[in-house]
Amino acid sequence: MDILAVVLIVIGLFFLTVGAIGMLRLPDVFTRSHAVSLTDSLGAFCLLMGLALYQGVGINMLKILVVLALLFLLNPVIAHATIRAAYRVGVKPKAEEHP
Amino acid sequence: MKATYLTQFIMNACSLFAVWLVLSGRYDLPHVMIGGIVACGVAWLNTRLQCSSVHHFSLGRLLIYAPWLLGRIVASSLHITKVILSPSLPIAPKMIHYQMHLKPELAIVLLGNSITLTPGTITVEVEGDHLLVHALDEASCEDLTSGRMERRMAGVFKEEASP
Repeated sequence: MDILAVVLIVIGLFFLTVGAIGMLRLPDVFTRSHAVSLTDSLGAFCLLMGLALYQGVGINMLKILVVLALLFLLNPVIAHATIRAAYRVGVKPKAEEHP
Repeated sequence: MKATYLTQFIMNACSLFAVWLVLSGRYDLPHVMIGGIVACGVAWLNTRLQCSSVHHFSLGRLLIYAPWLLGRIVASSLHITKVILSPSLPIAPKMIHYQMHLKPELAIVLLGNSITLTPGTITVEVEGDHLLVHALDEASCEDLTSGRMERRMAGVFKEEASP
């Protein structure tokens, strides 16, 4: 069980690192948000699942799962708010328009 | 099922109290009592009688949708990882105007949330049934443009989305 937990944590850290690299490499705020959503969703998911397994069944595992559920509900809201604010104040995305 | 003020209030108070119990982790009388009082107080401040569009919703179907979404998240995460780590950085960002056929507000919220949660696509603007989505490249927005994600979401709400 501990080995599975460590493997999950390492996978999570890998995605966090990739997200950070993407943050540096991608050109503008819209594309960077995609790199951040990588760390938000799969990175945080693997990391917290690993921690939950490492804790074993109990109150701490339940707390971590609550944090995970809140993260999945709230992170898209925050990302959407940031991006919408950028769009409304007139940051132009380097993107082609599609109907 | 019509949501009256009382059932709404009781549901809010109970869910807040459950969160208190999980997060406090102490089960002696004073802590539990404080939690109950605070939960009732917050529920009293926050309950409004307006959430009535919940009746199409089924939790069981959402439990079918969630693993599918998780699978899509893993697939597109791997795709985005490949894009970011490849030396030539092959991105082709674009804005997609997407016309939804979903009616319930909760369905629209969940669809926008799913789009943002999936790496590679992000909801920029929601106006009525019109979504503005930013995508990193062609492959990452395929689920949305083919209408697959909306059909899945429509399945949660027992509604047929016309293509």
